[in-house]
Amino acid sequence: MGNPNAGKSAIFSRLTGSHVVVSNYSGTTVEFIRGKMKLADETAELTDVPGAYTLGPANRAEQVAADMLKDGDVIINVIDATNMESSLYLTLQLLQTGKPVLIVLNMWDEVLKQNIKIDIGKLESIFGVPVVSTSALSGEGIILLKKRLTEARPGSLPLEIRNDNLKAIGHIVRNTQQVPQNAPSFWQQLDYMTVHPVSGTLIALTTLFLSFAFVGWFGDWLQDDVIEELFKFFWLPVAESISAGLGSAGWIHDILIGERIEGRIDFIESFGLLTTGLFIPIAVVLPYVFCFFLVLSLLEDIGYLPRIGVVIDTLMQRLGLQGLSIVPIMLGIGCNVPGVMAGRVLETKKQRFIVATLIAIVVPCMAQQAMVIGLLGQAGITGLSIVYGTLFILWIVLGILMNLFLKGKTPEMLMDLPPFRLPYWESSLKKIYMRMNSFIKNALPFVLLGVFMVNLLYTMGIIDFISDAFSPVITTLFGLPGESGAALIVGFLRKDVAVGMLASLDMNLHQLIVASVVLMVYFPCVATFVVLFKELGIWDLLKLIMIMIVVVIIVGGGLNLLLGLTDQI
Amino acid sequence: MHKPLTNLKRREYAEIVSFECGQMLCNRLEGMGIRLGKIITRINAPFMSGKVIVLINGHQVALGRGMAEKILVKPMEADETGKSL
Repeated sequence: MGNPNAGKSAIFSRLTGSHVVVSNYSGTTVEFIRGKMKLADETAELTDVPGAYTLGPANRAEQVAADMLKDGDVIINVIDATNMESSLYLTLQLLQTGKPVLIVLNMWDEVLKQNIKIDIGKLESIFGVPVVSTSALSGEGIILLKKRLTEARPGSLPLEIRNDNLKAIGHIVRNTQQVPQNAPSFWQQLDYMTVHPVSGTLIALTTLFLSFAFVGWFGDWLQDDVIEELFKFFWLPVAESISAGLGSAGWIHDILIGERIEGRIDFIESFGLLTTGLFIPIAVVLPYVFCFFLVLSLLEDIGYLPRIGVVIDTLMQRLGLQGLSIVPIMLGIGCNVPGVMAGRVLETKKQRFIVATLIAIVVPCMAQQAMVIGLLGQAGITGLSIVYGTLFILWIVLGILMNLFLKGKTPEMLMDLPPFRLPYWESSLKKIYMRMNSFIKNALPFVLLGVFMVNLLYTMGIIDFISDAFSPVITTLFGLPGESGAALIVGFLRKDVAVGMLASLDMNLHQLIVASVVLMVYFPCVATFVVLFKELGIWDLLKLIMIMIVVVIIVGGGLNLLLGLTDQI
Repeated sequence: MHKPLTNLKRREYAEIVSFECGQMLCNRLEGMGIRLGKIITRINAPFMSGKVIVLINGHQVALGRGMAEKILVKPMEADETGKSL
């Protein structure tokens, strides 16, 4: 246990050898994670607990931490050694629980770099428990930590400390630590600029623009010139021979390879398991997802993300949120599931509801965006601008409305800004790898299932039936061909597959725009749905669905009308 | 000479002299290392948005305007600053 951003997860993954996401800001871990570690001959179970400042919880993530405390036999208290003052508050509370404690002074490399002097021996004698220094990211001190874990014991605090925590902390810190005075470094100067209302906004906008430009441009290159070429070179001959082997027709052929478009396999339009089913996740979506995680991980590990939060706070307050909400929203752009979960760092129910609703309705995940970029990008920038413009306006309007009509308060911002740090390549790369890995593991089966279902539904005629049933809404209101109703159904399973289905329908730009926006706004995929249910409970989820249905009808219908008007001009 | 944190100028050092907040908020602030007697510096210039970003214990904390108003500080003389840090 320990304060947010003290490096608990980094220590945890060093001790257990398991992989958990580590970032340079408070609240990366919102749920407890269990792992096993070898201790001499025994196996011990280790729990990574969300960060907390005190044992009196202020948000749901801290609540998880306070609850976990009851189950533990030994507490490993991780402290950011550059910030002893604030960390010791929790330490004293932990020592007073009477459980065996071991104190870890993490980020020792920073301590050495900043020339801070800490007297470990003195700390040990004050608290009566072992104190170890570590640098979790580089791995220093971990072996010693393991060795001394058995020495953990209940603290023996002197009486005067027990009576007055606050005074005691000041006393302890004065006696054991010396901090040198340094002139403002380059980083501190930069730091000041990033939270300044004017220069900070400019820096934030530039950073976000460059990030997304990089994802768009590099993702596109990786997709078109690398992975698609590889697919054509290596996989197409294999798929063709399978197709020929199956006699180019028949239901097995249709499910595995799909329909031959003008006598050839088309990776997007054929819609077989071995063609489109593999091509969409690996060739279309993965390049963008990779680029996005690359940028996100860098922004996270440098420590810049919370600073965007400071700059954007004023706008967020209007939407009933606070600056900190930038974290769930940014994660939601990668995939809605971790985004919704990260909403736990927010303090009130109202905020958690607003952020979950915004993510579910107006934050399309990277997989979906990759497909939409592919679909609309061919026709130039106009279509994409309209789609993203609509989403942006919707984001603001929906936020303002929810803030007005939902009960509850939006507390003011109170967050610590992590110091800027150069990322450790090893841990940043590991994080990107972990996120990619979990993307592939989660997405691939669902994409294949989606493609399979499409084929099944088509052969059984169910899709035609549903399309007919919904055609009043789809055709009249949205101005889309009736067949696109099938895409809306599949969208519930996987949004990227649904967008892929649109490609084979002969639609004009106007229809493609409306269809993309409708797909982005309406029901999130089933995985997001499950998490929403877990985080919000059934009633708030129903409320969210109501909002979603109203929004999709207004936005889809409105966009169709507006675009219809411009078509006539 | 006591004034709310919101009125502190950029790079001005001050000592925290009292909190006028409820128990909940006070506990949270204390947990984050914002306590009586601590030396605090503002690092952002006062601006419309009213957010206050301070340096305390060598770490930065961003607070909303309402919270900052509840923290009363006593500004320090320039020569005093050097000694107490």
